[in-house]
Amino acid sequence: MVNAATKELKKHEKDQEWWWVAEKTRSKRLDYLRKAVWKKGAIGGAYNPGIKIDLERPILFTEAWKENDQDPMMLRKAKAIAHVLENISIFITDQAQLVGYIGSLPHTIQWYPEGASIVNEEVYNEPGTVPEPKEKSLKIMAEINDYWGGQTAIDKLGRVLNPEDLVKYMSGVIGWGVPTSAYGYAGKDYEYILTGKRGFEDIIEEIDGYMDEAEKRTSGEPGPDIFPLYDKMLNWEAMQIILEASINFAGRYARLARVISENFESNPKRKEELMRISETCEQVPAKPPRTLQESFQFDWFVQTLARFEAYEGSMPCRPDYYHGPYYDKDVNIDKRLTKEEALDLVGEFMIRTYEIGVFAPRWAREGLQGITGTWVWTMGGVNKDGSDACNDLTIAFMQAARLVRVSNPTFGFRWHPGVKDEVMRECFECIRHGLGYPSMRNDPILVENTVYWYGHPVEEARTWVHQACMSPCPTTKHGFQPMRMASATANTAKMVEYALSDGFDRVVQMQMGPKTGDPRKFKDFEELFQAWTAQMEWLMNILVRTVNLGRAKDPEFFGRPFLSAISERSVESGLDAVSPEGERGNCWVTFFTWVENADSLAAVKKLVFDEKKYTMDDLITALEADWEGHEEMRLDFVNNAPKWGNDDDYVDDIMVRCLKEVARHSHEIKCPSGNNWPALPENVSGNIHYASLVGALPNGRRLGDALYDGGVSPGPGLDKKGPSAVLKSCSKFDHIKDGRAFLLNQRLSPTQLSGEKGFKLWKSYMDTWADLGLDHVQFNMVDDTTLRAAQSDPEKYAEVIVRVAGYSAHFVDISRKTQDNIIQRTVVGL
Amino acid sequence: MTTCNECTNFFPLEDDPSTGDCVQRVVDPRQAYYKAKPVDEDTDASKCDQFQKK
Repeated sequence: MVNAATKELKKHEKDQEWWWVAEKTRSKRLDYLRKAVWKKGAIGGAYNPGIKIDLERPILFTEAWKENDQDPMMLRKAKAIAHVLENISIFITDQAQLVGYIGSLPHTIQWYPEGASIVNEEVYNEPGTVPEPKEKSLKIMAEINDYWGGQTAIDKLGRVLNPEDLVKYMSGVIGWGVPTSAYGYAGKDYEYILTGKRGFEDIIEEIDGYMDEAEKRTSGEPGPDIFPLYDKMLNWEAMQIILEASINFAGRYARLARVISENFESNPKRKEELMRISETCEQVPAKPPRTLQESFQFDWFVQTLARFEAYEGSMPCRPDYYHGPYYDKDVNIDKRLTKEEALDLVGEFMIRTYEIGVFAPRWAREGLQGITGTWVWTMGGVNKDGSDACNDLTIAFMQAARLVRVSNPTFGFRWHPGVKDEVMRECFECIRHGLGYPSMRNDPILVENTVYWYGHPVEEARTWVHQACMSPCPTTKHGFQPMRMASATANTAKMVEYALSDGFDRVVQMQMGPKTGDPRKFKDFEELFQAWTAQMEWLMNILVRTVNLGRAKDPEFFGRPFLSAISERSVESGLDAVSPEGERGNCWVTFFTWVENADSLAAVKKLVFDEKKYTMDDLITALEADWEGHEEMRLDFVNNAPKWGNDDDYVDDIMVRCLKEVARHSHEIKCPSGNNWPALPENVSGNIHYASLVGALPNGRRLGDALYDGGVSPGPGLDKKGPSAVLKSCSKFDHIKDGRAFLLNQRLSPTQLSGEKGFKLWKSYMDTWADLGLDHVQFNMVDDTTLRAAQSDPEKYAEVIVRVAGYSAHFVDISRKTQDNIIQRTVVGL
Repeated sequence: MTTCNECTNFFPLEDDPSTGDCVQRVVDPRQAYYKAKPVDEDTDASKCDQFQKK
């Protein structure tokens, strides 16, 4: 039997069927927990059968919200969430050692009716996710929607936005997301909360001190300086309410674990585990953690509680750094855990994260196919003093990732010259096993970039985590960013499209951008480039304007008592964490569909202005016709115009020029803290979402064709000169001063990279990548045969994972168009 | 009227027995778990299909 099993395992390894290898080598506990997860990421755009909206939170939240209508925002919000935490159903899954979920049952997804009416309407109308009994649920949902209609954070913001901005923004063609922290990416002040120095009881005590002082001052000599204290005292009260409710919430788990152990469970080992869970939840988050399990549980409560407050679309964590000391203590020093036992906890920590489900509107589901948020965990990197921060837990996470094979969270690894080969090998093995992660990040470049754009002190910059897919953000008092809104995400292909249409959008038939002149009359490339620059500035301006206002008004329209209560600057100041006061600034504009600009501009320059094969009139006529009736001409633009990613200075120079124009403008536009807005080209699966919203382009693309897969990645199949040429093209711009970060997708051959030789080849590629100063690269290493087989037989290949853009997804969960787009990417030989 | 405190699933709080948790074993298509929902001891349980007399 043993021999047969070993033989079978070897065969799976030889055939690179890593999902079977994982299933056969992980512990029984991890196997059970991994399979127990209800997958919440939407398949294509639709939720899996059985996934239901959680109605307990919306009902409880709304109930308490109505009762406390005299309270200011943060206090009212704290009371509403506290009411939820006290009354929502909780559960403990068999074999689990970590507890806490954002919904009342494992198959539920959370809904935040206070966020946006447009989302609430979608919740009501989404087929399949209404819980049984449907009629009763729909009645409840309708009542909730009626109550919140006109009162959500986005409704309130809509009333103060410039109406023209609002209409253009809400058209859905230029930006992505909504400008509120209800649906944002919230950084965390982990240096305050996760360093083991304090628990929630300690924070409550700290707040007591600030309140005592404020009370003294407001009872003393009058003066203008005491006015803000009245509001602050209410905010501090709100923070204390939510911290106490959080401690009690953990206490409910402690009690449930004890009740199960004492009344239901008969297995002595499990009884003991349940008592340990109980003890853990008594300890954290009230007090600082003492063990690895408590440390993970503390973090997990923080992540869960934050999601009772808002739909957090990202999870900017650095788990090896913050939990590493506990791993070291438990495994290496005290030896209270074996490596295998620790690996179970590490794997479960990932599974708990994979389990999270929140209702996302359709545009978000299309843009993030297969997942519920971009949970990109940051690994490796350096300590504040610049020394290597990799530790045994870094390796354990890489190993656990290969065992549990979840598509969310994924890892971004902070490479630096001091990373040991042993750790690089672990990263490589994850990539070779087809996970698509970790993405590799160039730490020295990104630390310098973080200092350059925002002036973060280098020690703080070195704490950086991925705030979403790509953008680094410190985890410090003044460096962490509490609200980054996806709505500062530009569909940048519109820049070149509008430059060639006088700002008119042919898809939605309205004047969107500024009038930059009839393109048929452009006499040279400079005229076109000036029009492009004006459209670029306009697009960045409108999105940033909208988002800035959303940020400035968020404490008034939404409120984040929990996030505030775990942020040192809010605890100290008594201000909502989202208030820009005290934050240094760390904004960026995500650039979807970026490379189309360079390829399109290069095509016009070459074929129209340099070679004069066509006139601008010919080109605009063809574009207006979506190339229909102009196929020969279209193919000329596809095949005979230079394309980005081939080390061809003709087009590369245009890319660099575009980036430098953007960087110039990035210094001109300011965030609410007065800091810069650099650009960050990447895509998630926006290249598919926007396919039907971007018109014909001079790179030969037609309306409806998938856009390039994003960042600074060459168009699929258009990089014909090999991986070194791609790297050289990408090294022609400055990864520090020309933008915030630049996503690069590469597909590698699993056959070529098998074994020891494969690692050496990859390592050599990574050395070149580092020497050239690129900040990012990520890999797909699943061959076409497997991907095509997965298209034909999705059930058999349900566990195949691919890198989509800034995230990974199970291949069968993404749309056919996205699947094809991934297959079309060039497999590069190293 | 049948009330929650007559049920085997009702576990009163130590410091306030008038309220407690309804703890139930659930086996769904993917996993088995125990769930707890806060209830008062005098909550009407006459229509509860999970009620089990102590």
